[in-house]
Amino acid sequence: MNFEYSEKEEKFRTEVRDWLKDTLPKYLSEKVKKHQRLTKEDYELFMNNLSKKGWIAWHWPEEYGGTGWNAIEKHIFEEEIVKASAPRIVPFGVNMLGPVLIEFGSEEQKAYYLPRILNNEDWWAQGYSEPGAGSDLASLKTTAIDKGDHYLVNGQKTWTTLGHHADKIFCLVKTDINVKPQLGISFLLIDMDSPGVEVKPIITLDGEHEVNEVWFTDVKVPKKNLVGKENEGWTYAKYLLTFERTGIAGVPNSKSALNHLKMVSRKSMKNGKPLIDDPMFSSEIAELEIDLLAMEIFNLRTVSAAAEGKAPGMESSLLKIKGTLVRQKTTELLRKALGPQALPYLPEQFDEGWNEMPIGPEYAGPIAKQYFNMRKISIYGGSNEIQKNIVAKASFGL
Amino acid sequence: MDFSLSEERKMLQETIARFFENNYNDIKKRTEYLNMNDGFSKKFWKESSNLGVISGLISPSFGGLGGSGEDISIIFELIGKSLCIEPFLSSGLLSSTILSSIKNPKTELINKIIDGDLLVSFAHMEMNNRYEDHFVESKAFFENENWKLNGCKSFVINGDSADKVIISARIEGEINDKNGIGLFLVDNNQINNRSYNTIDGYRAAELNFNNLNAELLCKDDLALECIIKANSAGALALSAEAVGIMQVCFDLTLDYLKTRKQFGKSIGAFQSIQHRMVDMMLEIEQVRSAVMLASSTFETNSSTRDKNISAAKNLVGRVGKLIAEESIQLHGGIAMTWEYSVAHYAKRLIMIDHLMGDADYHRDRFKLISST
Ligand SMILES: Cc1cc2nc3c(=O)[nH]c(=O)nc-3n(C[C@H](O)[C@H](O)[C@H](O)COP(=O)(O)OP(=O)(O)OC[C@H]3O[C@@H](n4cnc5c(N)ncnc54)[C@H](O)[C@@H]3O)c2cc1C
Repeated sequence: MNFEYSEKEEKFRTEVRDWLKDTLPKYLSEKVKKHQRLTKEDYELFMNNLSKKGWIAWHWPEEYGGTGWNAIEKHIFEEEIVKASAPRIVPFGVNMLGPVLIEFGSEEQKAYYLPRILNNEDWWAQGYSEPGAGSDLASLKTTAIDKGDHYLVNGQKTWTTLGHHADKIFCLVKTDINVKPQLGISFLLIDMDSPGVEVKPIITLDGEHEVNEVWFTDVKVPKKNLVGKENEGWTYAKYLLTFERTGIAGVPNSKSALNHLKMVSRKSMKNGKPLIDDPMFSSEIAELEIDLLAMEIFNLRTVSAAAEGKAPGMESSLLKIKGTLVRQKTTELLRKALGPQALPYLPEQFDEGWNEMPIGPEYAGPIAKQYFNMRKISIYGGSNEIQKNIVAKASFGL
Repeated sequence: MDFSLSEERKMLQETIARFFENNYNDIKKRTEYLNMNDGFSKKFWKESSNLGVISGLISPSFGGLGGSGEDISIIFELIGKSLCIEPFLSSGLLSSTILSSIKNPKTELINKIIDGDLLVSFAHMEMNNRYEDHFVESKAFFENENWKLNGCKSFVINGDSADKVIISARIEGEINDKNGIGLFLVDNNQINNRSYNTIDGYRAAELNFNNLNAELLCKDDLALECIIKANSAGALALSAEAVGIMQVCFDLTLDYLKTRKQFGKSIGAFQSIQHRMVDMMLEIEQVRSAVMLASSTFETNSSTRDKNISAAKNLVGRVGKLIAEESIQLHGGIAMTWEYSVAHYAKRLIMIDHLMGDADYHRDRFKLISST
């Protein structure tokens, strides 16, 4: 065992860091730092840069355009982009659909879609959840009826993240309603501009537009958009979910939030002294840091094992649970550190170009909002309760 | 001991409950009220006054009909249940507490507050002074037979629409001296204010003032006593409000667990979920008990009063977080939406921990009082 980064790995870190310094525009990292609303173009700018550099699909196999990095290098890469305050890489195409197509797509689909993902030509959305099918995803009701050369799709998806930017959506649909739910599901690729597709915004508790309802009314989808075999979509859906889970643990995000927390606690005052000098509060920070320290190693153990070909099974569930709790804890302590400064809420502060005086320190503005927004991470990607069910079922033999 | 409410109080409770239910029955209405000029509904405020809700917060010695710890708790629990944003705390309780605790109580002003015709906000907090009672940086000085104030006050609830403001300012000493603080009454129209909404849907303001003419209400020991009393009354009221909110969160969650079906049954049928509901339930009973104790000792000598209030507010902070987070989690995605009320209850519940002392502040204050 050796927990030091090797010289080669440190060199790699410098390479990523320098590249980010050269290519990430200052205005964009400032926006990310201030939690300002990002436009579609903001996301695309960063992803196009990654694309040009050949780093967008950093965990794909090399033959499909991946980077060939090992688990540690991938981790370093993820850490550096968070540290540099780059926008997040929109995961739906590159992290979710990509691996599914590589594993289960036809040659024709791979040849058409994978390069488009590598070049950011399509913005993908994830059409899994429905109003009646959340945790029990297999109970979904959207139907795709065989009409010879095409399917006719009817139904509704919901919670579709950034669906209002999407060009395409991968959907789980019912192609057979007369069998056990899991056996009648297919995995379908749908153009968002097909007639009959309608996107309606859902406003979240923090007043933001991030998720949507997507409605399908008699939408014609060519047969060639079916991934894999008809009625075997459930297998592909689950395969995708293991990739989705791993990303949510968000170790790099928690690390950078922890640093932010320390900064805020040095500036916030309690009883005339910096809050960080308060023994109780600094103990809370220390315990959070201990959790995170352990989790980083846990995370690396898991991704390294996965790289050696062992599927990231149960561990990815454990990591998702712990990762989300730790990340939520950072937002909680940040909120607490602010004291009454957490109260003001200026929605316009998150618009690009806002240049009024903030209320209180500039860092205060987004903190309470972030705390509430981050409640989502223990709900999506398979809720933490569902992860526990998965682990218990898979490993206890009860 | 007697844990039940008197007949009279029960009636008060029922009347106010019905009135709130009729006027605050959905979350859209609350947003509509918040977006009005004053940051609340003046009409609702006036009707509350007619019904005796404001006078219920004020002792008969000053023209009210209530003012006991129990009265305050009953009313604020109902305010919590409806998520009502009218100035019951700022004007109805904090300011009237101060105006009635000074040497020559301002009964006339209190009566106008009771009638809903005068709004007075209490401006004590400053940007970097967190929750302390005696940290005051704004300055007061006496010049040409007049008191004048310089400084800034932060997070002043209803600070934009108030007619008058009570401001704490330092006459002498260092920022954290217990002595040397004065409380002053000023006309709000002389103040430069910047108003905004809070994350939990209240209207607040930053007040900036320079050579502002002010009337001295009290100073030194009495001023500090008034601040502590107002903040304690506020902490009690917020604790009771939190009880109301927690109950609604619990009820909404339980309802949802019964109706939402996944895997062929209601999600409430899963035992792991039931256990969490039981945890929530018992913690709410703990808070309710602590708030009852705190309200029963509200009128006693100040160390018992403050110890019990700190116990209640500390529990509210800890349990509030549990209830807010669990209510969202157990609902799933639906609780993340603006449209559904539970998110608004959760936000208010969490932000109550950022007013009048958080769980840590009250834990420390409890330790201090218990050890002396
Ligand atoms: C901000 C946000 C973004 C999202 N983005 C997307 C997206 O882009 N695409 C997409 O397809 N979906 C997306 N989702 C949906 C997400 O995957 C679902 O919210 C999630 O699967 C939970 O489903 P639900 O909300 O219907 O909750 P429910 O399934 O109704 O669950 C409610 C509660 O019951 C618990 N529960 C359910 N079953 C069990 C059980 N058997 N045992 C114990 N507890 C149980 C759950 O854990 C939860 O606490 C998003 C959700 C959010 C909040």
